[in-house]
Amino acid sequence: MACESERCMSMLEVQNLEVYYESVWGNYKAVDGASFKTHKNEVFSIAGESGCGKSTLVDGILRLIKPPGHIPSGKVIFEGTNLLKIPEDELRGIRWVKMAYVPQGAMNSLNPIIRVEEQMTDAILDHGSMSKEEARELAGSMLKEVSLPVEVARMYPHELSGGMKQRVIIATAIALKPILIIADEPTTALDVVVQKGILQLLESLKEKYGMTVIVVSHDMAAHAQIADRIAIMYAGKVMEIGSIYDVFEQPLHPYTKGLISAIPAIGKKYVKGIPGLAPSPLNWPQGCRFHPRCPHAMDICSEVEPTMKEVSPERHVACHLYQ
Amino acid sequence: MVKISGFAIFILKKVLIYTVTLFLAFTLVFWVLRLIPGDPWSRFVDNLRILAIDPQISREFIEGYKRKFGLDKDIFTQYILYLSNLFLRFDLGISIASYPTPVQVVIMRSLPWSIGLLAICVLISWSIGIVAGAFIGWKHRSKLSSAMFTIALGMSQIPYFIMAILLIMILAYGFGLFPGRWAFSPSVTPGLNPAFILSVIRHGFLPALSIVVTSFLGWLVSTRALTMTILGEDYLLFAEAKGLKKIRMLNRYVLRNLLLPQATGLAISLGYVVNGAYVVEYIFQYPGVGTLLIHSFRFLDYNLAQGIIFVTMFTVLTANLIMDFLYPLIDPRVRTQGK
Amino acid sequence: MSQLLGTLKQRASAFISLFKRSPTLIVGVALLSLIIFLAIFAPIIDQYRLEGHKATDLGYFEKFLPPSLKHPLGTDHFGRDVLGLHLTGLKFSLIVGALAGSVATLISVCIAVIAGYRGGIIDSILNGVTNSVLVIPSLPILIVVAYYTRLDLVGMCLTLAAFSWPWSTRVIRAQVLTLKERTFVDLARVSGQNGFEIMFAEILPNLIPYIIVGLGFSVIGAIFAETGLRIIGLGPPTVVSLGLLLQQALQYGLLTQKRYAEVMSMILLLISIFISLNLINKGMDEAFNPRLKKVTGQ
Repeated sequence: MACESERCMSMLEVQNLEVYYESVWGNYKAVDGASFKTHKNEVFSIAGESGCGKSTLVDGILRLIKPPGHIPSGKVIFEGTNLLKIPEDELRGIRWVKMAYVPQGAMNSLNPIIRVEEQMTDAILDHGSMSKEEARELAGSMLKEVSLPVEVARMYPHELSGGMKQRVIIATAIALKPILIIADEPTTALDVVVQKGILQLLESLKEKYGMTVIVVSHDMAAHAQIADRIAIMYAGKVMEIGSIYDVFEQPLHPYTKGLISAIPAIGKKYVKGIPGLAPSPLNWPQGCRFHPRCPHAMDICSEVEPTMKEVSPERHVACHLYQ
Repeated sequence: MVKISGFAIFILKKVLIYTVTLFLAFTLVFWVLRLIPGDPWSRFVDNLRILAIDPQISREFIEGYKRKFGLDKDIFTQYILYLSNLFLRFDLGISIASYPTPVQVVIMRSLPWSIGLLAICVLISWSIGIVAGAFIGWKHRSKLSSAMFTIALGMSQIPYFIMAILLIMILAYGFGLFPGRWAFSPSVTPGLNPAFILSVIRHGFLPALSIVVTSFLGWLVSTRALTMTILGEDYLLFAEAKGLKKIRMLNRYVLRNLLLPQATGLAISLGYVVNGAYVVEYIFQYPGVGTLLIHSFRFLDYNLAQGIIFVTMFTVLTANLIMDFLYPLIDPRVRTQGK
Repeated sequence: MSQLLGTLKQRASAFISLFKRSPTLIVGVALLSLIIFLAIFAPIIDQYRLEGHKATDLGYFEKFLPPSLKHPLGTDHFGRDVLGLHLTGLKFSLIVGALAGSVATLISVCIAVIAGYRGGIIDSILNGVTNSVLVIPSLPILIVVAYYTRLDLVGMCLTLAAFSWPWSTRVIRAQVLTLKERTFVDLARVSGQNGFEIMFAEILPNLIPYIIVGLGFSVIGAIFAETGLRIIGLGPPTVVSLGLLLQQALQYGLLTQKRYAEVMSMILLLISIFISLNLINKGMDEAFNPRLKKVTGQ
């Protein structure tokens, strides 16, 4: 798919981001040099097994890492500024207004003792000069956007179901019409029917408001449903990036191939898993991180780490097979 | 069929438990007082016999007293009488040392002092302790707050009365800044005049300080720990991601979530605070119920002692009951528990 | 035999690793050990130092002697060596605390485990009793009992224990409730162990950190209560605890005589017991909840 220059202008660019957690046994290198670029007005997926570092990656981008975690190096360039270097007030100004976050534990992300309405309006009020009345109206219309009845506003979080809470969070996130929304595992812990609704909702954000939605999930099927482009993460690094069709139809990286063949589908006779266990962030394997489990491993793979190469327009892969 | 609302059931349950506990408590006191060896009422009566010169006269005298205090009946009748007096007529009996003044009157003279002292101390130490604890917990990574916390931790386990002795030593005898006895100076006339009020404040300062310092530190320590737990919660992370102002996070997301557990803690701590406060009163000879209680033993006034114990238990239990009713207001999750 | 040694070694190293996780614990245990050491050995040394007299004996030395080699803290108004006297006070305070605290903890563990494990009506009743005792201000009743019965050491400790058990009971019961849901309990039940066996063989070992913390609080509470009783003037006169010494200080007007050092020494000894136990409690918390430390990055 050719790339029109306007759309290809990057909105968020992550360069070699590292997020380490200090411990008595050493550094947990949860994210160890991840890089990718998102375009405007697209759904960008980040996929990978549990423990590959995708959630930490998101926390790092949003500068929500708490000690003992820290960011030793890397850049997160958003609309021309490196988010990691700007002062806190500037960051606070960007947060929610330009960049919103739908966290992994939506169930617990709502403050249990204040009403839904208040949790929606506090972000609106702290970022602008709207009056309380206007903020409340905005919150109400946002609830309608996510197909929730307006009565939800006056309720407390514990009175809502998991799916409703997830929608409330999304409604809060879109209130200030940010240009970027990052959703971390938005469908985990929800039942299948609700999942579909949430995914459709996320997709509609792109259509209706021209937002860029980054979706992080280990559920490949979810990505298949709504993503435009997808990045595959493994062992703290990004292994492959491409459009969703390209990656699914013609996966380049052996890990990606393994992931896709592991998706159960009606009519599929065999589901192939990936042999071996995921490595530990304390001790990533030498050379290519995937080589202990890779069916195509060569000698070079255990010695030299492959770099990300653009093998065709907007198609990147980090594997010695293509270098 | 009449549908009873969940809330009504909630209230009913609480009141029932309250009444039963009250009843149990009073029963406990009754039996403890009467089952320990050396029945005090008889002892009082015997003392009278020693004082009386003519044994003949004294016998009628003593029988009269016995009748007055119901000691001529068997113990179970005494129990029933006692309960009925207490619950139906709110009659605490007659003070032995201040005969014929009823116990209630004697207590009412001292009760306002105790309640005033305790109310002020508890409210100040709890509210300021929580805010300070939340703040220190919020900034727990700074070296200053860690240092302050360690000192607070060390000092928080000093009993009130030890603090009282320390304060008397340093501030009263050492520097002569505050008086170490009583509630007001004998030279002022009680009443709503400035001299009296000033004297009351001066005299109340050290007793209050003894209680407030340790209490405040205790709340600081517990709130800090709680705050640190709250800071690890997902909703705090989301609040930060929303880019909220720090003040709003501290207030709406941290403090408000502290209120319920700390309010529960307050109710539970009341018994302990009252205990310590009584001893502090005694050390300062502060004219509250605590000092009265201890003097009542000296003067063998068992009715008064019993009465004070009742009033204390009643107050603590009632305070707990009121707290139980306030919880739904603080935490919306409690409201729907009955359903 | 070698297997037994092996398990012992395992337990020992697990025990030691506890200390590695928390410096607070180390400090607390060190302080407490020092205090106990002083309490045990001071009276023995006093035998020689005080020419065979006990520190509490009245009038063997001259009154109001200033500090000297023989009497490092001088003598008091009764002619007693102050250092020996205070350390004896320390000893008795510790004994009272240990005895009353142990009994209270024993009671609370039994009640908490039975209530938590059995659940249902038994739990409700026991919980109700616990809350009632918790809420009733214990001091007045303590005063009454102390006043009318000529209490001895054991009697006093038992009475103190009778009022301080509810505090730890709540914490331990909560933990029992959590443990009850764990799979190893189901396993035990399925393999035919009856209620008692499960309670004591399976659940109890997992409660040990909480029991230790509960013991710490009970001991502190017992010494508090005893000191409080003393200040009022009650309690057995033969148990020369720090509380009794403080009461004597007040009674004989040490404060008005500006003999602050003596009073401070008593207070400091008393507070050091509390601080050491408190540090141990905090240390136990840190050692068994390292998660807290990790999250906050201290």
